Amino acid sequence: MTGDVIFSPLKFRNLEIKNRIFRSSISGRFDNEDGSLTQTRINWESKFAKGGIGAIISSYVPVLMEGRIIAGYATMHRDEFIKYWKVLGDAVHSFDCKFIMQLSHSGRQMDMPGVHNYARPAPSSTSRKESLHGFLCRAMTVPEIETTIAGFARAAWRAQQAGLDGVELHAANGYLFTQFLSSGINDRKDQYGGSLANRARFLLEVIQAIRAKVGADFHLQVKISAIDYNNVVPWEGKGNTLSDSVQVVKWCEAAGADAIHVSNGSLFPHPLNPPGEFAFETIAATYDAMISSGVNGLRNYFLFRYPVLRPIFRWAWFRMKKGRPVEGVSLDESRAIKAAVAIPVICTGGWQSASKVRAAIESGACDGVSIARSLVANPDLPKWWSEGHEQPPRPCTYCNRCLLNAPKNPMGCYEPLRFASHEAMVDNLMTIYNTHPDLRIPSPGEVSL
Amino acid sequence: MREPPVTVVQADLRRRWLLMTPLYIIAAAVVLLGIAASIAALVLIFNLLRNSTPHYSDEIENFKYGSISTESASGIPYRIWRALPALFPTEFRGRSDYSAFGFLYENDADGRPRDLPIGVSRRTYRGVDVVWFNCATCHTGTVTATLAEPSTGELRTGRHIVPGMPSNNLDLYRFIHFLLSAGGDERLGPNRLIPAMEGAGGKLSWWENLTYRWYVIPLLREGLVLRRSRLLGLMDRQPPWGPGRVDTFNPYKLLLADFGSVPDAEAFGASDFPAIFDQGPRQGMHLHWDGNNTSLAERNISAAIGAGVTPDTLEAGGYQEIDRVAKWLLGLKPPASPYSPDPKAVERGQRIYMTACAACHGHTPLATAAPGAGYAFDGAKLGQVEPNESLGVDPGRLNSYSPALLAYQRAGFFDGRLRFEHFQKTNGYANQPLDGLWLRAPYLHNGSAPTLADLLEPPSRRPVAFVRGGDVLDPARGGFVAPPCDPRFPPPLAFCFDTRQPGNGNGGHLYGTDMPDAAKADLVAYLLTF
Repeated sequence: MTGDVIFSPLKFRNLEIKNRIFRSSISGRFDNEDGSLTQTRINWESKFAKGGIGAIISSYVPVLMEGRIIAGYATMHRDEFIKYWKVLGDAVHSFDCKFIMQLSHSGRQMDMPGVHNYARPAPSSTSRKESLHGFLCRAMTVPEIETTIAGFARAAWRAQQAGLDGVELHAANGYLFTQFLSSGINDRKDQYGGSLANRARFLLEVIQAIRAKVGADFHLQVKISAIDYNNVVPWEGKGNTLSDSVQVVKWCEAAGADAIHVSNGSLFPHPLNPPGEFAFETIAATYDAMISSGVNGLRNYFLFRYPVLRPIFRWAWFRMKKGRPVEGVSLDESRAIKAAVAIPVICTGGWQSASKVRAAIESGACDGVSIARSLVANPDLPKWWSEGHEQPPRPCTYCNRCLLNAPKNPMGCYEPLRFASHEAMVDNLMTIYNTHPDLRIPSPGEVSL
Repeated sequence: MREPPVTVVQADLRRRWLLMTPLYIIAAAVVLLGIAASIAALVLIFNLLRNSTPHYSDEIENFKYGSISTESASGIPYRIWRALPALFPTEFRGRSDYSAFGFLYENDADGRPRDLPIGVSRRTYRGVDVVWFNCATCHTGTVTATLAEPSTGELRTGRHIVPGMPSNNLDLYRFIHFLLSAGGDERLGPNRLIPAMEGAGGKLSWWENLTYRWYVIPLLREGLVLRRSRLLGLMDRQPPWGPGRVDTFNPYKLLLADFGSVPDAEAFGASDFPAIFDQGPRQGMHLHWDGNNTSLAERNISAAIGAGVTPDTLEAGGYQEIDRVAKWLLGLKPPASPYSPDPKAVERGQRIYMTACAACHGHTPLATAAPGAGYAFDGAKLGQVEPNESLGVDPGRLNSYSPALLAYQRAGFFDGRLRFEHFQKTNGYANQPLDGLWLRAPYLHNGSAPTLADLLEPPSRRPVAFVRGGDVLDPARGGFVAPPCDPRFPPPLAFCFDTRQPGNGNGGHLYGTDMPDAAKADLVAYLLTF
């Protein structure tokens, strides 16, 4: 389809993408315990690159080991890992797709801390435990903040060294940047807490540090939660408003960000991110892996496990979705942010229909869309759109079983309606484990005792 | 040694546990206490709401042992009832039951003595078993004779219990006097009573102990003290009523109407328990000795109040229970007379009776009556009040029912919840039908003439003092054997009835007293067939 805005290039200051479709951050526990990536991750990302999207925003990539969400996700905390990421980048590039590394730090939102982190409270802006799971944390000292800023800068530099196409700071969805930004979470009394400017200081200092490290011509975008809706657990404060976030993105633009990626919600997962259903039977089968991660784990497990208790959680969760569409759930916020900045804006949230994406871009609410679940279901979604289809024949149902299986099972589509059989579903999940036969025998010097 | 925590979450949970343990313990204690309190409250409510009494399908058993709802308002807790004989051996004459007061005991179906006598029913009320009177208390007596067993028809010589005849054994005066006195006796305090209760009926649970010590026993004693303060003064002014007798209306004035005192002119109303056979034909007659009520239903309720019902207990089931007994009594026939007097004398006596007595008292079926016809409730003056001016018997019972009591009954009592409309003040005594006459000795309303033969004698020749409470038939004189006695030296364990005491006078009813002896004998022969 010629002239389709979806397939028109998107030009950033330092980067051009062939179309307006981004693979949003999504991952499974594919990688090694030390943070080095594996063939499986290369296979995973290649699947989407081959599908025809313009760029992949990597899975959540910790810049420091104490910032992991889940052990088993590849990290960027060591220079030694540059070469692995380069292989991954090359693989993606081979499909004419760009690769933007999402640099992240979990802060207190550490779902499965792993051996590196389980014996200490997670660093955060606050010492108040995370509201949903009860993850424990402690307020970072200023030197720790400075170390973390340096960690981000160094990781960005590593991404640049690996030949990747840019970095995204994950300042959305409840991770460390959100913990500083959100008025519902940040209770600091120092220069990193209190006013919006103080709360944004950490993010802006990271942007400045990265710019100082990688220069002005390396793509840097910021993903932000436009509205926190921090009161999923009803007694928590509501957090940042849209006007707070509009101010923050202006500051980011001024600090040197090349694009803004709009999401919602100060937790992950959050009723508005990813939007859709909540499969209680699935989470009842997987949440046990997280019971020991937080002091509320057992409580939550009971809420998920026992049908008589589920209405409590269902009420808390679904009350925030009322009146909201699944597809383009954050579009209004994106439009407001787009109006406030000159740099391109990417909007995430349930996108799957060509007409809706087209309308969103043409209306000026965003410049591109990022998609995770609909691409997990159909990695060739761009092909269907380019052929003039509104949706693939077996679209994502937004069941969120991919999300809720994450604590225990491989990442992939678990919607039974989309598969002829359970075996067919498992076969589909296993496709990314198609590793190469040329693993080599380590030399004696490589084997430590 | 305790394993150290592996994760920070475990360490935190352990720290929280130490901090929170006292709170958890308190919370758990509160929850457990709450559950225990809820259970206790439920049990308490269940018990408080519980109001049940054994049901007897057989009408005679129901009459003898079934409840008419007197227990909850007036009764004695069963466990205490059982304990009293051991605590008061003198009053109970060393017996372990209430037979010393004339209560009648039967054996149950297995041949074991029943633990409650005839006329005492049992009800579980607010978790406590309570016993008290029913209709049979005052209306079931004994006769020693050779009679056919009602159940088998076999002749048996001995003591027979006859439901519906006057309770000729029951010394209600002595029983009430004892209870009222016991209300102020230290033996009824929990420290003496509870061990006696446990001795008579097994160990009390801690809960029962608590309930009896702090609630049941004080409540009982309060009730007895109240009745004692109102009634005992009057009873001590009266000559003891003796077995088979009761003063119906004076206790009414003091306990219910709270008149405070009873003037001497009204104070001597003790009379015989009446027989209550065949009530159906009596509807509309002047009922009670003085004929002060013409309604069976009202008379029944009035009698039940005397036994201890209240509007509350009546409405909780008492009306139905009384109604059942009353319906059964409508057709209750007295057992046939066992006497077999000379038929010729009977014939002669009948001629005399039909001329001189039948108009007031009705008669047995005539030869012309249909086969199987019962007592003929015929007679121009049957069931009517005969002025005592002409009758001339002791006025004590007549005077005991006073205009003030009538006004009280008619105005409404029990806070206006009960009101009688058929009571009236009369000037004499009602002419009674004489069905079952052989079971109704001694005669006259106050039982002042021991036998029929004595009643046909002029008052000056009637026995001055005689033993009451016997049940051995006197075939020569018609009535129960009642040897003369000296009230100053009464025979042991017997009651010497003194006709010279107020209310006990044996004057009046001079009908036939002037007949020749032969005619009197003929009349008695006929009366023996009643």
